Amino acid sequence: MERKWWGKFTFLFLCVAIACAYVYPTFKDLDLKKTNFPIKQKITLGLDLQGGLYMVLGIDFKKLYREYLQRQMVSFDSQLKKANIAVKSSKLVAEGFPDEDPRIEFTLDAAQRDGIYQIFKDQFWFLRLTRDETGVLEFGLAHDQRVQIREKTIDQSIEVIRNRIDQFGVSEPSIVSQGTDRIVVELPGVREIERAKELIGRTAKLEFMIVDRKSMPLPELATLISSVEKEKNIVFEEGGSFSKYVDAINVAVKGKIPEGTIVAFERNEGETGKTIDRTPYLLKYPAPVTGEDLVDARVQFSADTNAPEVGFQMSPTGAVKFGKLTGANVGEGLAIVLDSIVYSAPNIQSQISERGVITLGTKGKDLYKEAQDLAIVLRAGALPAKLDFLEQRVVGSQLGADSIKKGTVAGLIGTLLVFLLIIFYYKVSGLIAALSLVLNVIFVIAILVGLEATLTLPGIAGIALTVGIAVDSNVVIYERIREELRSGKSLMGAMDSGFQKAFRTILDANITNAGAAIVLLNYGTGPIKGFAVTLLIGIITTLFSAVFITRLFFDLYLDRQLAKKADSFSI
Amino acid sequence: MGILYIIKPGSKFDFVGKRYLWLGFSSLLIIASIVGLFTKGLNFGIDFDGGAEVQIRIPNTWQIAKLRSELESSGIKDARVQELGDEGSGEYLIRTAGDESTLGDVSNQVKTVLSKSFKEGDEFEILKSDVVGAAAGSVLRQQGALAMLYALLVILVYVMLRFDSRFAPGAILALFHDAIVILGIYVVTGKQFDLTILAAILALIGYSNNDTIIVFDRVRETQDLFPNLSIEETVNKAVNETLGRTIMTSITTFLVVGAIFVMGGSVIHNFAFTLLCGVVIGTYSSVFIASSLIIEFTKYRDRKHPRNAAKKKKKKTFSVRENPSSL
Repeated sequence: MERKWWGKFTFLFLCVAIACAYVYPTFKDLDLKKTNFPIKQKITLGLDLQGGLYMVLGIDFKKLYREYLQRQMVSFDSQLKKANIAVKSSKLVAEGFPDEDPRIEFTLDAAQRDGIYQIFKDQFWFLRLTRDETGVLEFGLAHDQRVQIREKTIDQSIEVIRNRIDQFGVSEPSIVSQGTDRIVVELPGVREIERAKELIGRTAKLEFMIVDRKSMPLPELATLISSVEKEKNIVFEEGGSFSKYVDAINVAVKGKIPEGTIVAFERNEGETGKTIDRTPYLLKYPAPVTGEDLVDARVQFSADTNAPEVGFQMSPTGAVKFGKLTGANVGEGLAIVLDSIVYSAPNIQSQISERGVITLGTKGKDLYKEAQDLAIVLRAGALPAKLDFLEQRVVGSQLGADSIKKGTVAGLIGTLLVFLLIIFYYKVSGLIAALSLVLNVIFVIAILVGLEATLTLPGIAGIALTVGIAVDSNVVIYERIREELRSGKSLMGAMDSGFQKAFRTILDANITNAGAAIVLLNYGTGPIKGFAVTLLIGIITTLFSAVFITRLFFDLYLDRQLAKKADSFSI
Repeated sequence: MGILYIIKPGSKFDFVGKRYLWLGFSSLLIIASIVGLFTKGLNFGIDFDGGAEVQIRIPNTWQIAKLRSELESSGIKDARVQELGDEGSGEYLIRTAGDESTLGDVSNQVKTVLSKSFKEGDEFEILKSDVVGAAAGSVLRQQGALAMLYALLVILVYVMLRFDSRFAPGAILALFHDAIVILGIYVVTGKQFDLTILAAILALIGYSNNDTIIVFDRVRETQDLFPNLSIEETVNKAVNETLGRTIMTSITTFLVVGAIFVMGGSVIHNFAFTLLCGVVIGTYSSVFIASSLIIEFTKYRDRKHPRNAAKKKKKKTFSVRENPSSL
């Protein structure tokens, strides 16, 4: 054997070994938690194969913009009052304007115009002046502001949904935004659609509670909790329902903690999103101030240290309650609790009524992100955006299992028929094609596992189509070699030019297909995407196996034929 | 053992001579499909039309008529019940239209109806339940159409760059032909058209495109090798030379898809059906339509720019004339 084959074979062997290592856990259905197999990945099955709940939620931005503008109008009015400008009327106008662009309209005396304009310029930069006529000023939301509201709302809705689903206890939920106003939620294994809907559709509950450190300091509380955990055998398993755990703990500690307090936890998550520890808090209950009292929260930078911090603003009624609460508890911890989970518990420095700031210190890995997360949590409780259920699909696990079984069997039988046909038609060369085809399919699955792409039912069809295209590239090559042989070329010459000419054709065909697949990946939804992913991977592996694997085995075969001094090969 | 041939090498079937017959036939198919699309229309599934759909499995002692009347009497109005898969498999699809507010309960209502006669999990099972709001449906429809359009556009641009302007329209028209005819088949059969079917149509566009490119590649090569052949002869030679490959590939693809069609289960059945039709139509369009269109577009261009055509010919012809000077 010459021609640097060993190098090529070693390379092929390595590729196949790596691919097999990636396919192995899926194939043997290993328990990834317990195995010490180095590859800890299995193929991710789409909901159609695994069973579960798929939902598309729409956010009602129309209402959101109106409410936002309404609040700005109230705030504008109070600024006008401060400046002693008494306008005739101010009102929100939505009719006659696009849904996403309502207006506020001030009716005034011509003499007041400049004063109002000045306040707008100084304090309401996020509005845009849409009409400026005698006696009337009209404002809409600035475009940037609208985009910002939209993005903020989507982020915060995703955060709220994720939080809810954690309580529900789903192993691998996926919550992503789609387009500009939709959120796609995928919950594998969940079938109780009504409960899931209720949980997700409910408005987020944000509470501000005082941390009771006096009656029970943290170490004492932690000991109490671990003792009741043992006593009542309460365990929290990753992926299980967190709210059930919290409820059980609260039932167990009743009587052991002071009247009018509850236990809540702060969850500290590791890099993989798994809870690594939980900090318990003893909180005074019920909460005197809630999300309804909060108007807005956003990340800002400290004037002194330039460190990121979170600024928030209370509503007028909220300011009174919040002032009372913070005034009486200076020095205590203020727990920010969203849906019964503590997100932060900063110390109260002084009495706060309308506007407050939460500083995060100056040390820490990613303060800005922390500040952003906290602002999202606060806003999640402050601005409940209504979510509409646009689509909901439940697939029973039985159907998914059925589909996998039938799809795989059908695919295998189809492939087997193809093998028989090409081996009958092309003989030894057919066998080579079949071998390269098997490797091709292994590569496709290995890459799917490696990329953590999701395999859906149309994805399986994509693999079937890959088999079709892969067979085709072999057919194109073989037919070409046959032609070259007929034209009187030597074996070597026919093979070389056959591969060369066929390659151009194969490349052309596959590039156009890849282009189409990329488009589908970007514009398609659901099944179309699943199909496009496998098709794209299939195109790449097909090129590799047609050009490299088939060629390599062919070289070997040809070499043996030449050694036997044969003047033909079976093709 | 000798070499096996489906098509004997050196075959000279006259494909292009009857091209007006093929083009006429396909035009009729397209017109019929378009008329069908606008008159009868597609039977859109809930993906595109909105509505609720529940797939169930019940013991086959029940008659479909009983299921219908039970649903009717329990207040699920205008439910369409359809048997899925093989006869006697007991799998049914129940579909209702309605507004978003009531749709969510359909699955529960069906459950209640069935619970009167059966035990859940034991005897009957809700395999799948989908609810799509009308707004979401129109978004999905729009996105699907856009995806198809963009995919065609990418193919058009690539063929234009890689080949030239005589090839590109043929390729695209052939793909368009495939998609429209499949839609036509869906109009005629009244089968439900949903997202999965759209994915299948996109798949077959890819498949048919593969076929077409391979024929085109050979046309271009033949043109370079035999510049003096007329365009008709060139195309015919190319189609004949690639015929063995075309048929072989179509058969192998047909086998894979056919196996899925027969044994793949209810969910993927229609997907495979679409691909099966697609393989036939795609092969036909590559061999007969795309190649015929190259001829027409080449002729059209030569008529429009006769000088171009003449120049091309001239370059390849030798000429001899008197040498004025002595050697």
